[in-house]
Amino acid sequence: MTQKKYERKAVVKILEDRCKGCWYCVNYCPTKVLVISDKMNAKGYHPPEFREDKEHVCIACHLCELYCPDFAIFVEELK
Amino acid sequence: MSIFEDMRNKQEELLRTERLPHVWCPGCGIGIVLNAFLRAVIRRKIDPEKLVVVSGIGCTGRTAGYVNVDSFHTTHGRAIPFATGIKFARPDLNVVVFSGDGDLFAIGGNHFVNAARRNHDLLIIAVNNFTYGMTGGQHGPTTPTGAYTTTTPYGNPDRPFNIPHLAISLGVPFVARWTTYHVNQLQNSIYKALGMKGFRLVEIISQCPTVYGRRNSMKSPLSMMEYFQKNSIIKPNASFEEMELTYNGKIVVGEFRVRTNIPTYEERFDDVIRRAQNEN
Ligand SMILES: Cc1ncc(C[n+]2csc(CCOP(=O)(O)OP(=O)(O)O)c2C)c(N)n1
Ligand code: SF4
Ligand code: SF4
Ligand code: SF4
Ligand SMILES: [Mg+2]
Repeated sequence: MTQKKYERKAVVKILEDRCKGCWYCVNYCPTKVLVISDKMNAKGYHPPEFREDKEHVCIACHLCELYCPDFAIFVEELK
Repeated sequence: MSIFEDMRNKQEELLRTERLPHVWCPGCGIGIVLNAFLRAVIRRKIDPEKLVVVSGIGCTGRTAGYVNVDSFHTTHGRAIPFATGIKFARPDLNVVVFSGDGDLFAIGGNHFVNAARRNHDLLIIAVNNFTYGMTGGQHGPTTPTGAYTTTTPYGNPDRPFNIPHLAISLGVPFVARWTTYHVNQLQNSIYKALGMKGFRLVEIISQCPTVYGRRNSMKSPLSMMEYFQKNSIIKPNASFEEMELTYNGKIVVGEFRVRTNIPTYEERFDDVIRRAQNEN
């Protein structure tokens, strides 16, 4: 079994109606917990999905927030 | 609440959220610059009542309509003259010009050089996407030699401005350049500039995938970002030649000049008034 490297630190909320599907967040998330999804918003863009698993967890680095040109991401840290 | 969460919440307060989603295309770099700018304002603890954002015309110019502070969407090329007037009338305000390369260096070029020369107390956020985005992608004074645009279908014969070099030659106290890939450095430079006085220039190399990238083999937002990521070199002590931008070439970034003791135009003007009053 692969050892889990990081502790789960936050959940990511995406304001789907603001997202334009540029994939910067998906590309720059260091732990790859944001993934391209088939979902479609009202404007026809595909917002990413926040998907953690055993080996991939959000480390609350907030990089996705910094790269989002559309102010669509909130990283909510776990207490 | 962590400082990051707090900053993100305050960022929402500094946006006219009822107008979002904004007009910018998917992956347009202007939103990343605005994101970094608002964070720097929050970190500086600037009272929103004491902040004015002035934009000219263009996609970047639309910024004035999204910030939840007093803002001015001026006529094309005239953001700096409007800002100069605001600063003169209300020296207590932090006046920021947020505009595009065409607006600031083509039609507004003369205002830029003269305001820089006089060291007006203004922060200039110059979003350089190598083109006139709003009007469909014509070449302008920052388009690299050889680049394809609607008006240079066989490649641009012009030579672009070397913006940091130009600013330094005019004695500008703060001159930095980053790309939208450098989200943290960009925010830090704006933060630093907000804490200084005089004419401060932050040039941001930004992506316009829709009308520039498309014609220059970088159609997707990510492909433009990858170009910035792979070709940027951080070099604060770069020579003028190294700061020059070439078509698909290296992008030298950094804080090229930081000077804190140059009197601003406003200070020198106050001095003139004092001297005139003492004579009577
Ligand atoms: C006096 C005047 N001339 C020309 C125009 C047309 N025009 C609108 S935006 C623009 C250029 C904008 O380029 P830039 O400042 O680089 O902004 P971008 O859209 O790339 O962000 C031009 C030429 C205008 N609106 N007003
Ligand atoms: S905060 Fe960091 S780890 Fe978490 S989703 Fe965003 S980029 Fe990924
Ligand atoms: S960076 Fe923002 S706009 Fe781009 S895909 Fe992610 S959430 Fe959507
Ligand atoms: S045309 Fe270019 S600069 Fe204008 S919003 Fe679209 S991507 Fe951005
Ligand atoms: Mg432009």
